[in-house]
Amino acid sequence: MRRARPLLGTYVEIEAAGLAESTLEHAIDAAFGAIARVHRLMSFHDGDSDVSRLNRHAAFETVTVDGWTAKVLRKARALFDATDGLFDCAVGHELMRSGCLPSQDLSHVESGSFSAVELLSDDRVRFSAPVAIDLGGIAKGFAVDRAMATLRAQGVCEALVNAGGDMRVMGKAARTIHIRCPGLDGRAVQAGLLRNAAIATSDAAATVMKQRGRLASPDSRHAYSVVAPTCLLADALTKVLVQTQDAHAGYFARFGAIAFVTSADIIEDRVA
Amino acid sequence: MRASQWMWLPALVISTSAHATTYFTVEQAQRAIFPGATLTATASPNAWRTSNGGYFVVTRVIGKHEYITLAVGINPNGTVKQIEIMQYIESYGYEVREAHWRAQFVGKSASSPLELNNDITNISGATLSSRHVTEGVKRVLQQVASLKGKQ
Repeated sequence: MRRARPLLGTYVEIEAAGLAESTLEHAIDAAFGAIARVHRLMSFHDGDSDVSRLNRHAAFETVTVDGWTAKVLRKARALFDATDGLFDCAVGHELMRSGCLPSQDLSHVESGSFSAVELLSDDRVRFSAPVAIDLGGIAKGFAVDRAMATLRAQGVCEALVNAGGDMRVMGKAARTIHIRCPGLDGRAVQAGLLRNAAIATSDAAATVMKQRGRLASPDSRHAYSVVAPTCLLADALTKVLVQTQDAHAGYFARFGAIAFVTSADIIEDRVA
Repeated sequence: MRASQWMWLPALVISTSAHATTYFTVEQAQRAIFPGATLTATASPNAWRTSNGGYFVVTRVIGKHEYITLAVGINPNGTVKQIEIMQYIESYGYEVREAHWRAQFVGKSASSPLELNNDITNISGATLSSRHVTEGVKRVLQQVASLKGKQ
């Protein structure tokens, strides 16, 4: 059974098999519910989300967030530390200045880094500097992971969740994965088979970078992919790969991940 | 462990430019959004009414490269109950070029990883925006308001 709904600003597809139709329907519905919950908690655009509350208040007072938000922030911190600050969710200032995100009620925000985000006990959070965070580089992967966990909790053993290209598969069957590479007019490249793992792909245009405090935009004829045990890791690590273009950096292996770059130029050469 | 997650295929080959997926027929979508409800036709061919004043509307939205058929369930109080994508077609309009490309691969071995149209799923890559869906849902809400006014 395959279903799709518009969530997280993109199309989320969930496929599940191996159980009775009514059971699958219920499980898929619950999995979409988990994704909608991540959306509500972590959207920069929604003024009531945890992320918006943090950006407005955490520089001035301690803010208590949902356990899911706290989990994503802890993972974001681990990635920030492991990548020497390359994975940095404190990009709110840069995104607002470039007009990518709304800046309402956030005039106090300055440029800074994720090191300002202090994770206290009991899901409480405080910012030691007036930064703003955006979880756009990690929350979609987390949402896919929560959807998969929900399916598993409902007894599903064979499933695929694809949130606009960030996807995770579960089950015995290996799935063929295609990569959409910029510069190929929307055509997709068959990249390999995936089993019980996640993959995410980014291009430079979709990634925020903070080189010398500015957004930088490198070559856009490349797709940057990461295969990892969880979609959160795959999603987040693609943001690092886009910046360094180094698929062999040590942190990929440390997180159990594999990184690779697909180039439109190389592919066009091969089929010419 | 790693090898079982990710197996490389020998060749990197271009696939075609379109894929299409049908998730629901109209009847299936009606049952999914309003389980057990009786739906009756309205003056609009794409809208149905439930006995307690809810609406089920089918609409089409067109993005830059996507054609999407949506089912929107509206609660009796006019709020959105549920949105389901019924059909998703993605096309980049390179049919002529594609036919040429495909011809190059005719007769390759059965294990050739080239896929036919509509077979491509599981695409990892740049996110497609669902902004047009939001606009489509707004249109549906306006249509339902107008249908209610005619009652």
